[in-house]
Formats: sequence, C-alpha cells, structure tokens
Amino acid sequence: MTDVADLVRPDGSAIRGRRQWPLPKLADPTAPLLVVDGLTVRFSMPSGSVKAVDDVSFRLDDGEALGIAGESGCGKTTTALSLVQLLPANGRIKAGRVELFGIDLVPKTERQLARYRWREISIVFQGAMNALNPVRRIGEQIGEPIEVRLGVPRDGARRRAEELLELVGIPRKRAAAYPHELSGGMRQRAMIAMALACDPAIVIGDEPTTALDVMVQAQILQLLETLRRELGLSLILITHDLSVIAETCDRVLIMYAGRVAEEGPVRRVFTAPRHPYTQKLLAAFPNIHADRRTLDVIPGLPPDLRNPPPGCRFAPRCQSAMPVCTEVVPPEVRFADGVRVACHLYPTGDAAAPAARLPAATEPAPPGPAR
Amino acid sequence: MTAPALPAGVRPVVVASPATGARGAIRQVLGRPDGLIGFLILVVFTALAIAPDLLVGPLQTAITGSGPRLGPPSAAFPFGTDELGRSILNLLVHATRISMVIGFLATIVTVVIGAVLGIVSGYVGGRFDALTMRIADFFLVIPTFVLAIILTAIIRDVLGTGSREVFGIRLSLLTIVVVIGITSWSSTARIIRSQTLSLKERAFVDRARVVGASSGHIMRRHILPNVMNLIVANAVLTFAGAILTETTLSFVGLGDPFQPSWGQLLDAARSVGAPGLGAWWYFVPAGTCIVLVVFAFTLLGSALDAVLNPKLRSRR
Repeated sequence: MTDVADLVRPDGSAIRGRRQWPLPKLADPTAPLLVVDGLTVRFSMPSGSVKAVDDVSFRLDDGEALGIAGESGCGKTTTALSLVQLLPANGRIKAGRVELFGIDLVPKTERQLARYRWREISIVFQGAMNALNPVRRIGEQIGEPIEVRLGVPRDGARRRAEELLELVGIPRKRAAAYPHELSGGMRQRAMIAMALACDPAIVIGDEPTTALDVMVQAQILQLLETLRRELGLSLILITHDLSVIAETCDRVLIMYAGRVAEEGPVRRVFTAPRHPYTQKLLAAFPNIHADRRTLDVIPGLPPDLRNPPPGCRFAPRCQSAMPVCTEVVPPEVRFADGVRVACHLYPTGDAAAPAARLPAATEPAPPGPAR
Repeated sequence: MTAPALPAGVRPVVVASPATGARGAIRQVLGRPDGLIGFLILVVFTALAIAPDLLVGPLQTAITGSGPRLGPPSAAFPFGTDELGRSILNLLVHATRISMVIGFLATIVTVVIGAVLGIVSGYVGGRFDALTMRIADFFLVIPTFVLAIILTAIIRDVLGTGSREVFGIRLSLLTIVVVIGITSWSSTARIIRSQTLSLKERAFVDRARVVGASSGHIMRRHILPNVMNLIVANAVLTFAGAILTETTLSFVGLGDPFQPSWGQLLDAARSVGAPGLGAWWYFVPAGTCIVLVVFAFTLLGSALDAVLNPKLRSRR
C-alpha cells in the first residue's frame, strides 16, 4: 500500500499502512473508509412494513469514532447491522449504498459479504454473557473468527486468541477460563478481543457498556480509545448514553424514528445543539454542574414506524413545530462548522456552508405527505 | 493449601457450576448416595466383564462340564451346576462380559444415532426435521419389544447367521446391538432435539453465525457441548434398557446360543425346567445380576440427571 500518504492522521500515523491484510481486491485506496448514502431499511411484519431506517447517510474516516445516539427503537442498531447485512430475516435494505473503500456492499451476495464481515467490519455485542457459549473456554471462542474466517488451524487460533486477550488487558492464562468464571468487565473485554480477531478496519460497538457499572464502563471505554489509537481502528459506537459519546467519539449522529436528526462534531453538537430533538435530548441528561433536581422530559412517544407522520417525524412532540413541519420532510442542511441538521427551523443552513462531508445532498423533500 | 486464613469453620465457597465440566460433575455425582452406590456396583461388574478369567478361568473351562448335573451350590461349585454339569458361577461371570459388551455397544449406537439426528433435525429444522421426527414417533409408538422381535428376524435374514465376525464381534451379537439401537434412538433424539431448539435461539449461536461459523461448525462446537449433559444422562439410562432388551431377546431364544449372556442363562434354565425342579441356583444369580446392573444404571442415571439437568439443579 503506497497511497497512504494522503490518509495520514494529524498525529502522523498512516492508518491503512497498519493493516495486517491487504485491502479487498476491488478497493479504491483513495476512497474514504465508509460512506453510507440514503440507507433505507424495512422490516416486514404481519401488521405491515416498518420503516426502521429511512434515508440515513453518514461517513466514517480512518481512525475516527462515530457515535450513534437516540432513544430505543430509533434505528441505531438496525443502521449498524445493515452495514454488513446482519439484519433479522424479515429485514431488508430497500435503498441506499454502503461503500467500504469505495466498494458498495449492498448488492453483494451472502457469499461475497463473507469477505467483509468480521474481517473488515466486526461487532462488539451487547450482553457479553449471552453472546458467549457457557460451556466453552473463552480462548476457543475468541479464536473462532480466526479459525472460520482466516482458516487458521485451531492451535494457531488459540495462540492468537491469547495475544488478543493480553491486548485487551486479560492475562493470557485466562484463555482457559469459562465465561462464568470472568467478571462482567472481563467478559466485555473478551468480546472486544473477539471483535479484533481478524484485524478489522471498523469495529461496531452495540451498547458495549450497557449493564456494566460505572467504573468498569470507564475502563472499557478507555480500552476502546487506546485500541483505536494503537491499532488505527475506526469505531461506530451505538448507545443511548450521551456521556459515553461525549467521552469517546469525534462525531455524533443523532437519530430519531429512523432518520438522521443532526450530525456533526461531538463538541459542536453537544454545546450548540440545533435540532429541537437534540436540544431536548441534551436537556434530559443530568448535568453535574447544574443545580437542578429534575430533568426535562420529552413529552409524547416516538411515532409508530409502520405509519409514520408525514413531514418531520418529530413534529408531533416538537415545541417549535410550525405548520410546514407536519407536511414536508425537512431537508438536511449543512453548517460551516460541519454540522448537518434536518429541521425546518434552518431552511438554508448558513449561507456559507459548502457541501462538505457528503458527496451529494439527499434528494429534495417531496411536496405533500411523504409515504 | 495457600488459601488465606479463614475463620475457623468457614470454608471457601466453591461454586459448582454447570460448565466447569466433567470433573466437577463427577465429584458431585459421587457425592450423592445414589450416584456412589450405582457407581460402585458398576465398577464390580465392569471388572468382571473386563477380566472374567481372573475369577473363574477362561471360557473353555466353562464350556466343559465337570460337575454333577444340576448340582446345588457346593464348595467346588459355589453357585451350583447346570444340566450339563458346568459351573453356574463360571457361566455367569462370562455372561457378564457378553451382556455388558452388548449393552455398551448398543448404547453407543443408540446415543450416536439419537444425538446426531436430534441435533441436526433441531438445528436444521424444516422438512428434514419433520421427516426425522415422524420416523422417531413411529418408533416411540410401536411397542419396542414386539418391534425388536420382528427386527431381529429380519436382520438375521439380511446379515445371515453363523460364526462370521464383523469387527471381531459375532454376527448374532451384532444383530442384537443393531436391533436395540434401531428401537431406542428415538427418545434420545427427541430430547436432544428439544434442547437444540432452545439452544439455537441463544445469542451465542447468533454470534457464531455472524462471526462466520458454518452450520456444521455451530452444531459441533456450540450445540454439542451444550447437550453433552443430556447425552451422558441418556446414555446411562439407555445402557440399562439395552441390557434388559438383550436379556429378553435371549430369553425368547433370539440371542446367540454360543455366547453365554444373562438372558441365555435364564433361557437355558427355563428350557431345562429349573424352576419346576427347584434348581433355584440356575436362574437366581443371573436374575440378580440383571436387577443389580439395571438398578445401578438407574441410580447413576438419576444422580447424573440431578447434577447435570439445569432445571432439577435450580430446584434443589
């Protein structure tokens, strides 16, 4: 790989140069790491089709950490799982592109996707206890992706698993332990080790710190941060805990009811939220410096995604809602500080905003109720 | 012991877990009175089966009769003699070997068929599952013994009789093994299938699939270790059933007349009319052995079940 020169991070590390394996054959070495454009996912249910993810676009660069936040059921996990098409059987990608190194993964067959799953994009599952087989040693389980993906024989896979354990801060000899013999934090570390097994470019953390106590949570986040720096990983962190994102991520994507509400650098979005939903979300979060005893709540419930409201999906709960909000889907507008917002309060963004991060803006809002 | 000093009388809590595998389970089973008694009885019979010659000399000495006909127990013949003057003790010990070998082989056949079909049909599902389970239902519904009698005749016909040997086992013994296997795999398959159905919905199976494991890999490495406890507990109970079936088949004359088994002894005693002649020493020892071994396996099986079955465990 010679084309890493233009992908050098500010700290001078050439991230793609650290890869153990060459890029996929069709990869364009100059393409951005991951570009998701117009991703739309539907679940077919007996009671109708659920638009779980609707026209979601974002981009992830080498070494970057992107947080996806939003309340339960807003499509965070679905978005992440559809990157490598690990949706449940009734879920389908209806539209959009998922480009990894410039290769569109959406039209790929199961067989072709095998090249990318775990070797390029891996997942740290939530609930490590359930994701580990209770009657097998963790060393074997961590070695499993190495065995089945890379075809390394069992012994080699186990040796590599021990190295991975050491990398995530678990002593080598614990490879012989069974999951119930480890603490919750160690199990989560083991899951991280498993995600790193094939030296992936992107690690998706699906609520990696849920159900862990605060101290362990901090350790796990610190570990992810260290690994990101040392291995040149890119992270997608799915969580409803905004403090986790504030601590670890470079950029944040706020989702509401299957759509992007606001996206941008963490610092900007958290200090100057523009979308009313983001504002509410942040107000609903305890601030240790404030003197308040009560937290704001967002009245109402997220919409039924089988039949979402026309226009802005947040409109029914929004205090700043205008007549246009219930009729027209707000287009995404860009601001000069890199923030992207989909809200009628900002009809043009600021005029100076160049079309920054994404190749093309999403299509203009159709007039009348969007179906 | 390097453990830190604990207050007197306080023992460190060792959590005996479902997972820490065989060693912990064995310790727990032997810690229970039923498990220990069953195990000890089986140790004795296994020793007899492995080395019958040590106690009574080689099989040849059993075949040549040298005592009185139907003689009662005496110093020379502790368990008396049969109608040909052979030592009953001698026959009994050699019969142990045959009965145990048949039980062992039949158990392996049963458990392997049952486990493989149970796991595959539970995991794969669909038509294969439906077909396999209908076949299993057939074997569950038809009375085992009637089926076994018919099957023995058929398999005899197919394989032929005589003293040919397959894998060092006489063909007529193999017939009995096959018959027991065919008639008893279905309940094992059913149990293992139901556990597989529940296991395949667990998150770790999903994870293995995502990681890239094939179905075969998942069945071998993820499902099988999780149903191992059921397989073991089932095997032990199957062993008892196999010995009973072998006895019954031999008793009605479908065994191998050239190989003494407990069933053969009972059959011989019946055909000579030993019960009518008051020759209790002819049939009581074989009957006692059968009862003891089946009893031991049942004890051990229930102990294993209690230790390995998560539902029973939580109830304790």
